[in-house]
Amino acid sequence: MKKSWFECHTRVVRLAHIAQVFGLALVFGAALTGFSAGAVAAEKTLKVGAPLPLTGPLSPEGLKQKEGYDLWAEQVNKTGGIKVGGDTYKIQIIYSDYQSNTPRAVQLAEKLITVDKVNFLFSPFGSGATKAASAVSEKYGIPTIAATASSTAVYNQGYKYLFGTFTPNSTLTTPLAALVRQKMPNVKRVAILARNDLFPLAIANVMNGSAKKSGFSVVAFEKYSIGTLDHATTLTKLRATRPDWVFATGYINDLILIRKQMRDVGLRVPVVTMIAGPAYKEYAEALGKQAENVTSAAWWHPAVRYTGGPVFGSTVKYNELFQAKYKKIPDYAQASSSAAGVILQLGIQKAGSIDPKKVRDALASLDAKTFYGPVRFGPNGQITSLDPPVFQIQGGKPVVVLPAAVKQADLKPIK
Amino acid sequence: MLYLQILVNGLLLGGLYACIASGFSLVWGVLNVINILHGSFIVIGSYVGLLAHQQFGINPFLTVPVAGLILYGFGYALQRGVINRAVGQPVLVTLTLTFGLELLVNNTLILGFSADYKKVTLENPLGQIELGAIFIAVDRLLAMVLALVLTGILYWMLRGSRLGRAIVAVRMDREAASLMGVKVNTIYAVTFGLGALMAGAAGSMMSMIYPISPLTSTAYLGKAFVICVLGGLGSVPGAIIGGLVLGVIESFGSLFFSAELATTFSFVLLILLLIFRPTGLLGRRGYE
Amino acid sequence: MRRVETIYGPLAVLALLIGFAFIADNYFLRLSTSLLMYVVLALSWNFIGGLAGYPSFATAAFFGLGAYCGAILQKAGVPMFVAWAAAGLLSGVFAMALGRAILHLKGHYFAIASLIVAEALREVVNTWTGLTGGGMGLNLPILRLDVTVQARFFFFSMLTIAAASFVLSAFVIRSKLGFGLSCIRQNEDAANILGVDATTYKISAFTLSAVLVGPAGAIYATWVNYIEPGDVFEILHSVKPIVMVILGGAGTLYGPIVGAFAFIVLEEVVWRNVLTFHSGLLGLLIVLLVLFMPQGLMRVTARRLLRRKTRP
Repeated sequence: MKKSWFECHTRVVRLAHIAQVFGLALVFGAALTGFSAGAVAAEKTLKVGAPLPLTGPLSPEGLKQKEGYDLWAEQVNKTGGIKVGGDTYKIQIIYSDYQSNTPRAVQLAEKLITVDKVNFLFSPFGSGATKAASAVSEKYGIPTIAATASSTAVYNQGYKYLFGTFTPNSTLTTPLAALVRQKMPNVKRVAILARNDLFPLAIANVMNGSAKKSGFSVVAFEKYSIGTLDHATTLTKLRATRPDWVFATGYINDLILIRKQMRDVGLRVPVVTMIAGPAYKEYAEALGKQAENVTSAAWWHPAVRYTGGPVFGSTVKYNELFQAKYKKIPDYAQASSSAAGVILQLGIQKAGSIDPKKVRDALASLDAKTFYGPVRFGPNGQITSLDPPVFQIQGGKPVVVLPAAVKQADLKPIK
Repeated sequence: MLYLQILVNGLLLGGLYACIASGFSLVWGVLNVINILHGSFIVIGSYVGLLAHQQFGINPFLTVPVAGLILYGFGYALQRGVINRAVGQPVLVTLTLTFGLELLVNNTLILGFSADYKKVTLENPLGQIELGAIFIAVDRLLAMVLALVLTGILYWMLRGSRLGRAIVAVRMDREAASLMGVKVNTIYAVTFGLGALMAGAAGSMMSMIYPISPLTSTAYLGKAFVICVLGGLGSVPGAIIGGLVLGVIESFGSLFFSAELATTFSFVLLILLLIFRPTGLLGRRGYE
Repeated sequence: MRRVETIYGPLAVLALLIGFAFIADNYFLRLSTSLLMYVVLALSWNFIGGLAGYPSFATAAFFGLGAYCGAILQKAGVPMFVAWAAAGLLSGVFAMALGRAILHLKGHYFAIASLIVAEALREVVNTWTGLTGGGMGLNLPILRLDVTVQARFFFFSMLTIAAASFVLSAFVIRSKLGFGLSCIRQNEDAANILGVDATTYKISAFTLSAVLVGPAGAIYATWVNYIEPGDVFEILHSVKPIVMVILGGAGTLYGPIVGAFAFIVLEEVVWRNVLTFHSGLLGLLIVLLVLFMPQGLMRVTARRLLRRKTRP
């Protein structure tokens, strides 16, 4: 007598079989419903995907980007939307939290494109995640604007659909080096301390070159790993090389710690530059008097004066609108994000259509003025037209010391 | 001169390390539980110090006993309620349990306090002491001294008081201690609470020195591991020596190699120790 | 007769999966590929953790090693499949050497040693910038294929490795090696006395726990196009398979698969809806699992669930 499936297997194995079939049915069913999930929107809305680190270690940065995007979207929709070839599109930004985890950023970028069917994409935060996610945009042919990625390593893949609003790192370091050389002839020796991470390491390497070109001697170049809690020994090592200028890179928490520990180990120099923390008010707040006369550079500063472009029209107007909505002064991260929106808008309007390929081509050949500065992209998609300001914390606030056109104060040494 | 400064850096660091690790070592030695939550306990202690400073302007050094007591309560309850169910189970069970708890606690911390790095900045910074070319940061010096004092008190308590002897008895032989009338479950809870207390106290001390964020908990935990294996499990003097040794090794390692290799260095050291001398410098055998 | 019937089940599943690949949309393909990857990790861990009873946290080390091996070779122009196979070879050899070094440790010491290896490897990769790109990560060349074709391709690649893991598990569990490992798990000294060559068996199990994890890592690298040390050596890559195997039932053949599936479904549902407390809920799941159901789904009974104190 043939035994049935039931009798043949132990309870355990039967359970497994059932679970498998059930599970597959579930997955099947989900797949089928997944099909119908990509419903086409009836109204005229333009969807822009924005994967951001809204939680996790990078959340402060992610939130800044969100502020910038939201301001732009709100202002555009107030005027009715983007007018293209007879149609008017409202902007809808679809956010997705990748929890400061780069692989998740990539997954979410793909999901935004395939499931949420976004027309365009804003890159995640930072050079690393932007580079990773750009592969997805390229695969699907979706124009993507990166608001917070500056390292040339991000743009060297030969991709056609990625555009960035930060100029290469050397545009920050070269003017700075030249300025220090000019204003402080006694400063000759530079010590560099870099975080072992895409952007901080990249800009430190670039600084190495800029410093040497300006005639400085680089007496130390040290790297520290992400999550280092104690820099005392490294800073002592730097002290032993008797530098006049300490150039440190990392993110805000690293730089606050480094500045404090410099005092602790007796590393006193007339020039201290840190990228990228001093631009944010949290830096000056956390350090108090120790933040005085620390220099930094960034791609934009609220003190610059540019005019042109839709929605905002001028830097002054932008600052006003930002202050009205968020009750604080914008810094370069938010401005860059709003600019990403403005640039996208210009691209769509220039192309006269929302077709990805046409918009892509329009962006590549864009030559416009905006509140953020003049906008022109190089062949690798990175913006080439900015004149990044150098600034210094004086009286607890960052003031611009370069370029001369928008200078607010002179460079001072640290006593 | 440079070497002397590095040595000083290392010792200052080491004192703090000793405090971080002593509680962890105790729990591991007595309960045979690796408390993955230890890092988060330290962070909670830091937040206590931060909040006291922000709301009431109290110096974090003064908040140390408060942080310690809060964490003691938390640790005791946690052990009694949850961890005790798994004590005596295979390593996998206890390790995974505390790992799961750590995820839970850490995520709650991030929700409550956000992942931003915060810092306690005193209006009048304590400054430095300059002895010739040697700089000693006063806040670090105080933290180191306080840490060692606290660890010393723990050691004295373990040796001298009745409770302490009960703890040591349970560590040496659980069944025998139980036969002697020691309430093992209570001792477990108390020990875990003590471990948490040390962590919380250390955290409060360090709130002035290190940036505070739930994200730093793994860094502290990693250090605690290395120190415990270095110094030997369940041994408070071991934790002190292990801490000081690690501090000095890390500092000199950073000098001769590079800062970024410092962490690799301590890990490689740990692996080598585990392979060749798992009982650590003092040769005290822990559980298998 | 028994053998024929037990082959039908898995074969039917395989056929269903292949069919599924041609009708599902990209997002579900991606999710399923991820699931299959975890099936590989879970089945592999089962050799050393479930059968031999040694709590290994080295899975992330093997995974990351495989990922970087595959990535570096591919960037140097080595054909994809060769790179993937090489990753398996490297992981296997590494596991053998590592096993020789640490398998004499027991309990916590072994667990920590295996965990630290992953951390140490991560740091080495992080600092060896010239070879691995260090903290800046590695970008792999993207395949210039149609997106859906690509999604299917990776699905099938992962499916192949998963099927291989399954077959390997089936063979080992029913073989002398599997039996020997069970003996070791229950009482290693007794096993030794009875003539089981514990050292060789343990090292074999450890190697088996790595040899397919490496290719899984390499496929992952090619799939996501960008890897960085913090991502591929992440401790969760070690912990999740453990949780999956515990959830499904350690030491069984289907346990890891059932556990992986249940876990991924749970995670996906949670991730979609409760973003900010994602890892917290995972932690809660782990705690509840360990306290109330350490036997796993395969061996669960109502009676066991309601027991207050757990038993191994």
